[in-house]
Amino acid sequence: MRFSNNGYYIERYVKCDNCGVLIYGEGLQAEVAGEERLFCSDWCEAWNKARVAGIEEPRIPLPKDGIHKTA
Amino acid sequence: MDMVTMNIIDSAMVAICREMGVNVQKTAYSTIFSEAEDFTCALANAQGEMIAVAEFCPAQIGGVPLLVRSMVKEIPLDEIDEGDVIVHNDPYRGGLHTPEHTMFKPIFIGGEIIAFAVCIGHFVEVGGMVPGGFPGEATEIFHEGVRVPPVKIIKKGEDVPEVWKLLLANVRTPRGNYGDLRALISAVDLGERRMIELISKYGTEVFRDTVSGLLAYSEARMRAEIASFPDGRYTFEDCLEDDGIEDKEFWIRVAVHVQGDEVVIDYTGSSPQAKGPINATLGVAYSASFNAMLHLTDQTIPKNSGCFNPIRVIAPGGTVMNVDYPGSEVGGNTETHPLIVSCIFGAMSKCIPNRVMASEGTTHGCFVFGGFDERNKEPFGGFDFTYVGYGGRSFADGNNATDSINGNCANTPTEVFETRFPWIVEEYALRPDSGGAGRHRGGLSISKTMLATGEMLISQMTNKHKRQSWGLFAGGEGISGATLFQRAGSADWQTIAQAFNKPSPSKYSNVPVHPGDRVSVKAPGGGGYGASSERDRKAIVEDVMEGFVSPAQAALIYGFEERWIEEFEDTGRELVPRQAAE
Repeated sequence: MRFSNNGYYIERYVKCDNCGVLIYGEGLQAEVAGEERLFCSDWCEAWNKARVAGIEEPRIPLPKDGIHKTA
Repeated sequence: MDMVTMNIIDSAMVAICREMGVNVQKTAYSTIFSEAEDFTCALANAQGEMIAVAEFCPAQIGGVPLLVRSMVKEIPLDEIDEGDVIVHNDPYRGGLHTPEHTMFKPIFIGGEIIAFAVCIGHFVEVGGMVPGGFPGEATEIFHEGVRVPPVKIIKKGEDVPEVWKLLLANVRTPRGNYGDLRALISAVDLGERRMIELISKYGTEVFRDTVSGLLAYSEARMRAEIASFPDGRYTFEDCLEDDGIEDKEFWIRVAVHVQGDEVVIDYTGSSPQAKGPINATLGVAYSASFNAMLHLTDQTIPKNSGCFNPIRVIAPGGTVMNVDYPGSEVGGNTETHPLIVSCIFGAMSKCIPNRVMASEGTTHGCFVFGGFDERNKEPFGGFDFTYVGYGGRSFADGNNATDSINGNCANTPTEVFETRFPWIVEEYALRPDSGGAGRHRGGLSISKTMLATGEMLISQMTNKHKRQSWGLFAGGEGISGATLFQRAGSADWQTIAQAFNKPSPSKYSNVPVHPGDRVSVKAPGGGGYGASSERDRKAIVEDVMEGFVSPAQAALIYGFEERWIEEFEDTGRELVPRQAAE
């Protein structure tokens, strides 16, 4: 989620490329399979990279901070 | 941790939420609140975590954590004053769908925000292209009504007239909406008062510590439940039959990863977002996932954000599971949500077969209408639920005539319905043979036939007019739903698609209805559980005697013979084998 910072009130809905949650801050940029992607958290980056690498069932412990507080 | 204090504070907070709900029911103008109870009341802490919720509408319960999070992201705590009330319905930032309006009120103790009182309610009339809020042919958010990002509707205890004017100028029933907005505000006012009493009794520090312990307790209970499930990756898919615009199916594909005491629910691979209004918002994807997990786990776990911590949801943007702006979405919360839950049940049937049910009807019917009522010279808008059959379970038949799994809404009594709206209800009945066959039969759905007594426009957002509810473990399918139209003076019944040349029989907008016309809304039945050959003979006889299953259908499916009836004695309470009765 990008709020207007120029006083024009035009907003953009920016989502995590893995889980789809709104990203309010800068997010985490990473390259996955040659493409630039934006993630809400380390967990989503790791999960997405594992899935793209063909791992059907990645096992990455969830962050302990509730619903995507990192975003 | 002091478990006694924790239990007392938890119970007190849930009681506060319930009282807030009763307040909405008793003060609202619209039948969707006063009769159907399509609202939820909750409490959150200052960090945006849900700390308590009452048992009203499950669609909204799982949505609260994301709603509060988006609100506090948008309006920082230091910009919220005592006496403020914030309203929010934006589907793209945590909201569930356009009709669902949420009120937040901060609860201050000693000049500091300790908690929020939260009330979500489904408004029948929200502007947009149809009266009643469910344009089955919407293709963008602007067709679906007024979108309200988090804004203060009350500042420091005083109305913000500009916001009220904007909200009420953009709906067809401003008097009703005014009353309903006030009802939700009065609920958060009440929640604030009760919470101040509660926190003052125990002190802020004890309250905070106890709530922190409560969240951890719920998380630990949920983790223990998940840990008892066999690890694995469980998949399932099901589809919406169309989107009201294109005659094609839209698939929900889920992979539930059970990993130790955590679950990842991944919807990657679901269909790209639809043109029509069946897309789920992110809030719906979360809420449906949490709803399913709450159904699969111990119901005594206190419901708060703690129990959602071991659950991660992946709902890629731009899909039918997470709509991107400005896609339409109003049916995502009513049609897609229950289908998501049933997909998770389908997946988990391979993991915990005794805790799931076969598919229910997965629709609320969402039959809406509006116009100008000549009887009282006032515009009206109405929403009518049509109840589905639930799926059979490992231990029982599916429930008959029940609101779909994310609604938990009550019906509107016929007397109230006819008083408030220009309809006469000619039939309101269970549909015989609508439940899927099985060891445990699918539940029966409802058929409701109405005679119009005034001019109005009708619209609908429903599903399963072409598809059926699936059974589990050789259980049979329930029968499809239908909406039929009979023009005044005609004896013929047609589907809406036939009568009005609409692309979908189940999703349509602004069909004109005149006095003397009839509409019959029939909901889909639930799927059966287990093979029909395993059904108990007494249950078959009961079904026939009650009229739930016709003798012909019972003969076809179960090999029923009339003489079976003679084998049982009806004691008035139950059927018993005749020999035992003697």
